[in-house]
Amino acid sequence: MNAPTLELPVRSATVRLTDLRKRYRVGDDWAEALKGVSLTAAAGEMVALTGPSGSGKSTLLNLAGLIDTPDAGTREIAGHAVDGLDDAALTNLRREQVGFIFQGFNLVPVMNVADNVEYPLLLLGRPPAERRRKVAEMLESTGLAGFAGRLPDALSGGQRQRVAIARALVKSPSLVIADEPTANLDSHTAQQIVDLLRELSHERGAAVVVATHDERMSAHCDRVLRLADGELVKGERQ
Amino acid sequence: MKWILFAWKNVMRNKRRSLTAMLITAMGTAAVLIGGGFALFTYESLEEMTARDSGHVVLAAARGFDNDEDVPLQHGLIGAAALAAHYGTQQGVRAVAPRIQFSGLISNGDKSAVFVGSGVDPAVDFRLRGPQLNFVAGEAPGPSEAVPEVAIGDELATLMKAKVGGSLTLLATTTEGNLNAVDVVVRGIVKTGVPDIDRRLVMTDIRAVQRLLLTDKVGSLAIYLKDTAQTEAIAAQVKAANPELAVRTWRDLAVFYQAVRALYNRIFGILGLIMVVIVAFAMSNTLGMAVVERTREIGTLRAIGTQPGEVVRNFVLEGVAIGTAGAAIGMLAAGLTTLGLIFAGLEMPPPPGRSTGYPLLLSFSPALYLGATLVVVALAAAAAWFVSRRAAHKPITEALAHV
Ligand SMILES: Nc1ncnc2c1ncn2[C@@H]1O[C@H](COP(=O)(O)OP(=O)(O)OP(=O)(O)O)[C@@H](O)[C@H]1O
Ligand SMILES: [Mg+2]
Repeated sequence: MNAPTLELPVRSATVRLTDLRKRYRVGDDWAEALKGVSLTAAAGEMVALTGPSGSGKSTLLNLAGLIDTPDAGTREIAGHAVDGLDDAALTNLRREQVGFIFQGFNLVPVMNVADNVEYPLLLLGRPPAERRRKVAEMLESTGLAGFAGRLPDALSGGQRQRVAIARALVKSPSLVIADEPTANLDSHTAQQIVDLLRELSHERGAAVVVATHDERMSAHCDRVLRLADGELVKGERQ
Repeated sequence: MKWILFAWKNVMRNKRRSLTAMLITAMGTAAVLIGGGFALFTYESLEEMTARDSGHVVLAAARGFDNDEDVPLQHGLIGAAALAAHYGTQQGVRAVAPRIQFSGLISNGDKSAVFVGSGVDPAVDFRLRGPQLNFVAGEAPGPSEAVPEVAIGDELATLMKAKVGGSLTLLATTTEGNLNAVDVVVRGIVKTGVPDIDRRLVMTDIRAVQRLLLTDKVGSLAIYLKDTAQTEAIAAQVKAANPELAVRTWRDLAVFYQAVRALYNRIFGILGLIMVVIVAFAMSNTLGMAVVERTREIGTLRAIGTQPGEVVRNFVLEGVAIGTAGAAIGMLAAGLTTLGLIFAGLEMPPPPGRSTGYPLLLSFSPALYLGATLVVVALAAAAAWFVSRRAAHKPITEALAHV
């Protein structure tokens, strides 16, 4: 909360999550996955979420990325109050403001690299010339310029995750959600991916919230938040 | 365009499965088109046949079609010659044929049988009926002489042991209710292909019949048109000009045509329904599998901002692509079959109530092809919508967790 160097006058906090709670039904019982978590991230800031397995990282990311609903708490993204929006409005908000990077890459296998990257712009109804320009730009900055026509199957894991980064950032979202984006990569490639994500999101002013187990990776983030048992642990660099 | 391309790439994702669905759709389409083409050809042939038989528009006296006369020709048409002359010169009319239907006993001296007679104008009628009157022996009777000439059905000829040139006697009730007889000579033996008719048919000059029945009325006037499509228009015209007369079209009189049409409509309607079910099933199956396999992908697309409706639309496009391809293949197959049959010269077995077959040909109807394609494509779209809408609305986190 008190990171004055990152407070921008206009878009002070791109993402503002307040007191989020989420519990799941487990048999006859309830499992508390999040017990009142608050988090803000500013434009261009990269926040790491760490914590043991089952501590609620994915749950928090799903809520932040608007693909799941909290039981309590409020959310705000790029100045839009999220609470009370219906599914269509949430979808539109994600379309405009949120990029996703998945552990398993989740590219569309029948689309080549350029088409995968173009897809979000297609959803936004951008004109063809603009789409072409932005895709080319994005492929250039992710080092995929020579791979535009390749299908995802013909790419290495690192390359696939670059495509995913390009797809997430091509629309210049306010927020990028990355759940264990490097878990399927070797450590050298993982390093490159983190650096690329950090560099591009800084450049484009997107807040990134990334869940990771990897200490080396969190070391490259602007802030590290630690979750344990559904709660934030106050700690270093917050 | 991008979306259509995307849909097509998805169709090609599992080539064998999509191809199977396409082929099933193609077979269904072809079956409907071939069945429908056959039914249409049958209808057209029967129309032609019936119209040749009865004439396109038939005129009679007010109660001439009621079949409730006390004596023959009680409701006969008076002044037929003037009417015939009038309509014979009208535009679009090929010929006008006066007719008398009568019945009685036919005898060879040793035994007799019931006959159903038709008095016709020999100069017009035999020409009009064309290939339908198939003379197995002899030829068409000429105008009435002292001893009138007749053509009789082949089975009746067998029954009467009659040969061409042989003599027979017709016995009938006159318009006054008395019995009258006339000796006739057999000039031709015909086979219509309908055993019921061939067993009883006697055709002769209408003037001989008028003499036999002691009348100058005729039963009806058959107006033959140059174009069958003109039937209703001319019938209306004739009716308007002769309000005191009864006017029927061949369609009203064509009991056999109506019966066959009703039967075939039902048979091919059921065939069509079965095809609809099969195609719908194949489509739902193929697309349903695709939807399940792509659950995680649907979750991904939803997460990055695709609306459920857009997910469904993509699957609908896939269905439409498969359906269109299948329908196209089916149309091609049906079209080639239609062409092939023209050259193959196959013969159909006799239809119910007939003893002769007819050529196996298919009619080509653009409306039928268009209709079948629309139905198939609509079915495919509906199936796609049906199987994808639930997955499109599945909670995104669940869809993403799908393996
Ligand atoms: N769909 C669900 N149904 C029931 N319980 C769930 C569900 N999703 C998560 N949980 C529970 O919520 C808690 C938090 O899970 P979450 O997936 O957020 O943890 P995580 O920190 O992402 O773990 P990991 O590092 O293994 O990915 C866990 O106890 C988990 O069992
Ligand atoms: Mg997780």
